[in-house]
Amino acid sequence: MIAASRAPFPWNRTPRLSRDRNAFPHATVRGLRTCFTVLSLAALLGCTPSRSAPSLTIAINSGVEGDALKSAAREWAALRALPVELVELPYTSLFEKLLLDLTSRTGAYDVVMIDDPWFPRLAGKGSLLPLDQMPDPDFLESCLDVCREPYRTGPYYALPYVGNSQLYFYRGDLFKKHSLPSPRTWQDVLHAARKIGASERMFGYVMRAAPGNAAVTDFMPLFWAFGAEMFSPAGAPAVASEEGVEALRFMLELGRYTPPGYAGYNADEVAAHLLQSSAVMSINWPSWIPAMDDPAKSKITGRIEFTAMPSAKRPGVASLGAWLLAVPRASRNAELAREFIVWATDAERMRAAALLGNPPTRRSVFLDEGLRRRYRAFPAQLASLETARPRPRTAKWNEIENVFGVYLSQANAGRLGAAQAMEKANREIAAILERAE
Amino acid sequence: MRSSIPEGVKWAGPAVALLFALSVYPLAYSVKVSLTTAGGGVTLRNYSRLLSDEFFHTAAAQTLFYTSAALIVEFLLGLGLALLADSLLRGRGLFRAGLLAPMLLPPVVAAVIWRLMYNPQFGVLNGTLRALGVDTSNLTWTSGEGSAMLSVLLVDIWEWTPFIFLLLSAGLQAIPAEPYEAARVDGASGWQVLRDVTLPLLKPTILLALVLRAMDLMRIFDQIFILTQGGPGFATETVSLYIYRTAFRFFNFGYAAAMSFVGLAVTTILTRLLIRMINPRRIRQGA
Repeated sequence: MIAASRAPFPWNRTPRLSRDRNAFPHATVRGLRTCFTVLSLAALLGCTPSRSAPSLTIAINSGVEGDALKSAAREWAALRALPVELVELPYTSLFEKLLLDLTSRTGAYDVVMIDDPWFPRLAGKGSLLPLDQMPDPDFLESCLDVCREPYRTGPYYALPYVGNSQLYFYRGDLFKKHSLPSPRTWQDVLHAARKIGASERMFGYVMRAAPGNAAVTDFMPLFWAFGAEMFSPAGAPAVASEEGVEALRFMLELGRYTPPGYAGYNADEVAAHLLQSSAVMSINWPSWIPAMDDPAKSKITGRIEFTAMPSAKRPGVASLGAWLLAVPRASRNAELAREFIVWATDAERMRAAALLGNPPTRRSVFLDEGLRRRYRAFPAQLASLETARPRPRTAKWNEIENVFGVYLSQANAGRLGAAQAMEKANREIAAILERAE
Repeated sequence: MRSSIPEGVKWAGPAVALLFALSVYPLAYSVKVSLTTAGGGVTLRNYSRLLSDEFFHTAAAQTLFYTSAALIVEFLLGLGLALLADSLLRGRGLFRAGLLAPMLLPPVVAAVIWRLMYNPQFGVLNGTLRALGVDTSNLTWTSGEGSAMLSVLLVDIWEWTPFIFLLLSAGLQAIPAEPYEAARVDGASGWQVLRDVTLPLLKPTILLALVLRAMDLMRIFDQIFILTQGGPGFATETVSLYIYRTAFRFFNFGYAAAMSFVGLAVTTILTRLLIRMINPRRIRQGA
C-alpha cells in the first residue's frame, strides 16, 4: 500500500511495463500512436467541409412549411445537376443554429429559411447578403416589407417564401343555425361565444395562452384591434396603456367561454378542440386548414369557415408569420444561392408549393382560378395577408415576447389582474431595452 | 533511440489533453463569459443582476421545492417498495422487473406519453374519471396554475422512484443475515429491526441514492420542457429551463453562465449538507 501511494503511476510500480521491452515492445507503442494520429487527422478532416465543387447547403425548418422547399431543392438539384444538401432542423434548433452560423460567419449554410420575427436579429449585423435585384412586384407588400432591414426602408436581404398570417376560424354551420352573421367585430365574437356555447353545450371560443409565443400570438390581434401598441413612437414600451389593459380584460372575458386550463394551451390543443367539435371559434394559422377538411382527422369537415381578424376600435389585423429565404454573407456559393432563392420563389414554383400546402406570398398565385377552386380559404387568406402586421421589429423580440407571454399567461391563469399583468410586463420590457442599450 | 519523455506522460498525455479540451477549457471559458461585457471588459453585472431578477428567484424557489418534494416522496416510496420486494419469498424478480419499466423509458418519451394522458378533454386520466362519474371540468392537470407543479412532480415520481428502489434493493441484499438473527434473539420488534439494524446498515446506499437523485433533480429540464414549457404563467419554470431560454432563445450567454455557476454552487452546498445530515461521522473524518 505504501509503495502504491509513493508511486502513483502503474508503470512505476510494475517494472514489467516500463523495463521489459520484450513484454511490451516499443514498436507496438509506436504503432498505436501512429494509428491514433491518423484517426485524429481523419476525424478532423471529416469535420472540415470540402468545398471544391459548387453545391448548396440549405437550412430548412422541419415543419410543413419546409416540405415544399425540400421538394423544390431536389428539383433544382436535378435541373442543374448540382449536389444539394438539406439540413432539416426543428423550429427552435433552427433559430439557434442560424444565429450561431450567421454571427460567427462559419459559412455552414448557403441558403437559410428564416421565420420573419427572427429577421431583425439575424439581418441586423450584416450577416445576410443583400439581394442584387429588386424583388418582383407580384409579391405582397406585407411580405416584402419584412425582408428589409430596417423594416420597410432598408435594402432587401431575403425573399418571402411562405405567406403565413393568422385567420379567424369559426363554425359556419352553427352561426347559420343560430342566425348569426360571420363575426366582424370582437363584440360579435363574444356574443356568438355566449349564445352558441350555451345552446350547443360547447366551448364558445378556444385560445392558447401558454407562456411565451403562444399567448402573445393569440393576443396581438386583440391588442392591435383595441388600439394598443407595443411601443410608443419614441420607442418606449407602451403595453400598459389604457387600450392594452382593455384588450387584456377582453381576452380574460373571452377566457370564460374557453376550455378550462387554456392558460397552458398551445396550437395543438386549440386545433384539437375545433377538430373534435368541442369549440366554436379560434384564431389559427392557415397550416391547420387541410386538417379541418380531412375526414381522417376532423369531425367537422366542410363546416369551418375562415375570415379576416375581427375589429374593435381599429380594423382587425392578423399577425404575420412569413417564412423567408436568404443567403448568409459567409456563404461559399453565394451566386448560386441567390439564383436558387429567386428560382424557388418564382410564380411557377410557388404554385407548386401551394399545392403542397404552403400559403403563397405572390398575389398572382392567390388569384389563380385553379388554386382558388381547390383551396376555399384563399380569398380570406389573401385579405388577411394584405393587412397583416409583423411582430415588432426589434432584435430583442424573443426576450420581450417571452416576458410579455409569461404575464399574459399568468393573467389568463387567474394569478394576476389585467392592469397588474400589463404593468409588470411594461416594467420588464423596459428593463430588457435598457440592458440592450 | 529511446525518447526522453517519461512513459507516464506519453500514456496519460492524450487523456489529460482530451479532458482539458472537453472539460477544463469550456469551464474556464464559461467563467470568462460570465465576467465579460459585450465590449470585452470585465464586469460583475451578470452576477449582480441575479440579485434583482424576480424570474430567477421564482425559478430557484420552484427548483428547490421540486427537488425536495420529489426527493422525499421518491425516497419513501422507493424504500417501502425495496423492503416489500426484500420480504417477498416468491415473484421477487417479476415484481422488480415490473417496477423498473418506467425508468427504462427515455424521459422525453415518458413526458410525451404523460402529456397526452393529462389532456383535460381528450386524455385518458380525465376520460377514466368521467367514466367513473367524477366531474372533471376543473381538473386541468398541467394547464392549471395550482395543479401544474404537482402534475410534473407526479411524472418524475413515477419515472424515478424505481431508481431509488433499485439501489436500496441492492443495498438490502448486501446486508448480512447475522445482525438480524442477533436482533431476533434479543426479541426486537419489526420496527426496532428497521430502525436499529436495517436503516443504519443501509445508510451508505441511501446516501448514494439521495445524492444522485438530488443532483439530477436540481437540473430537471426535459420533462418540464415537454409537459408545460415552464407554464402556465411561470408556475413550473425551473433554473435549468430559465438558463436554457436565456442562453439559446435570448442568446445572453454571460447571464446564463452566471446562473449556471450559482446553480452549481447551490447544488454543491446542498449535496454537502445532505451528506452531513445522513453521515456526519464521515464528514468529520474528511471522507
